[in-house]
Amino acid sequence: MIFFVILVVLTVIAQIVEFFIPPLEWMYNAHIYIVPVIVFYGAMALPFPLVLALAGFAGFLLDAATAQVIGPRVEISIGWSILLYAVLAAIMHGLRPLFVRGRWEVHCIMSGLCTSTILLSQYLMIAFRRGSLVFTSEAWWQIGGPGIIAMLMAPLVFWILHTVARITRNPYLPETETYD
Amino acid sequence: MNRSSMVALGILAAILAYFLSFGAESTRKLQAGFYSLISPFLTTGSGLKKSITSVRTGLKSLEELETDNASLRVENRSLKATNQALRDVEHEVNRLRRALDYRERSLFRLVPAEIVARDSSTWWRTVTINRGKVDRIESDMPVVTDEGLVGKTTTVGDNISIVLLLSDENCRVAAAVEGTREQGIILGERVSGSVTPLLDLNFLSKQANLEPGRKVYTSGVGGVFPSGLLIGTVQSFRTRELDGQARVTPAVDLSHLEDVFVVTGRK
Repeated sequence: MIFFVILVVLTVIAQIVEFFIPPLEWMYNAHIYIVPVIVFYGAMALPFPLVLALAGFAGFLLDAATAQVIGPRVEISIGWSILLYAVLAAIMHGLRPLFVRGRWEVHCIMSGLCTSTILLSQYLMIAFRRGSLVFTSEAWWQIGGPGIIAMLMAPLVFWILHTVARITRNPYLPETETYD
Repeated sequence: MNRSSMVALGILAAILAYFLSFGAESTRKLQAGFYSLISPFLTTGSGLKKSITSVRTGLKSLEELETDNASLRVENRSLKATNQALRDVEHEVNRLRRALDYRERSLFRLVPAEIVARDSSTWWRTVTINRGKVDRIESDMPVVTDEGLVGKTTTVGDNISIVLLLSDENCRVAAAVEGTREQGIILGERVSGSVTPLLDLNFLSKQANLEPGRKVYTSGVGGVFPSGLLIGTVQSFRTRELDGQARVTPAVDLSHLEDVFVVTGRK
C-alpha cells in the first residue's frame, strides 16, 4: 500500500513536470510523457484493484489537465483517458508473469507502444469530432515519438521504481515463486 | 478473477459513467478546480524554469565575451558579470515598458498576465496564465500582446486560466484582409512539426489573389474578438475548388510568449 501511495504521488509530480518539458523540435514537436511509464510499472508491481485505481487516477489527471472546452462542447470528455489507461494497464498487468521472471525488455517496449496508443486514440477521437482524418508525417512523429522516448526512458524509470519497491517492501517479489 | 478485482472493476465503471456524463459546464468547473489546485506548483515551477534559463543565457553570453576579449578576460570578469546582469535588467525593463505603453494606448481594458505553463499536450495548443476569476477574467475573452492576437481564454479558475492559442485548429477567428474586401476564417493546423506554425485563412473568394505581406486583422464578426486586432501577414495564396485560401504568418511569436494581456472590455 505504501508503494501504491508513492506511485500516486509520483504520478502527480510527473504530471506537473510534464507542463514544463518543452516539445522536442527535432522530433516534429513530439512531447515527453513520464506518467504512462510510471503507471505501466505500477501495472506490473501492484495487485489488479490497485492497478485500476492508479490507472483511473492517472487518466483523470490527464483529462483534467488537457480537456478542451470550446464553447458548449468538450472535445474529449473526462473519462476517456481513464478508460484508455485502465485497458492498457490491464493488458500490462496480464504480462506480469514475464516481468516477475525478470524479462523487463518486453515491458519497456510495451510502455512505449501503450504511450503511443494513448496518443493515437486521442488523435482518432479528435479526428472523429472534427470530422476529418488527416495523417501527416508530423502526426505519426507526434504519436510515435513519445512512444520511442517512453521506451528509452522505461529501463531507468523501472529500475528506480523497482529500487523504491524493494525499499518499501512491496510484496510483489515473493510472487516470483508462484510463476517459476 | 477474484472478488476484489470484480469490485474494483465495478467501482471504476461507476466512476467512468459519472465522468462521461459531464457536460461542458461541469467539465469547465472540474478543470478550473484542478488548475486552481495545481496553480501554486505551476507558478513556482515557472519561476524556477525562468531562473534556470536566465542563468544559462548569462553563461552563454559570458562565453562569447570571453572569446572576443581573451586578453582582458581575467581582469574584466567581474565587470562583465555585472554588465550581463544589468543587461538582463534592462531587457526586462524595456519589455515591461513596452507592455505598459501598449496598455496605456490601447482602446481596450487590458489585464496583464504572465505565462506559467505551455503546451501540456500533443494535440492542443494552449498556455496557462496566472490570472483568473479574481481578476474578472471569464471564458472566451481575447488574449493579445502589443504585437497582435494570441488566442482566447477557455477554462478560467480563481487565479489561473487556460488560453487556447490562435495556432490551435479549434480557435477560429473571423478575419479581414487589409486593403481589400476579403473576409474569411482563420484557423490553425491540427498537427504541426514547426514551433511557429502557420495559420490558414479560409473561405476567401477565388479571385482574391492576395499578395504576400498583406496584413490580416480580426473583423469583429462572431462577437468574441473585437475588430482591428492584428492576426498576421499573408505568406501565400492559393485557389481551391470552392474558395481561396491564404497561409498567414502569425504576428505574435506564439512559441516565445512571456507576457500577455486579456481583453476584458472597451475603455
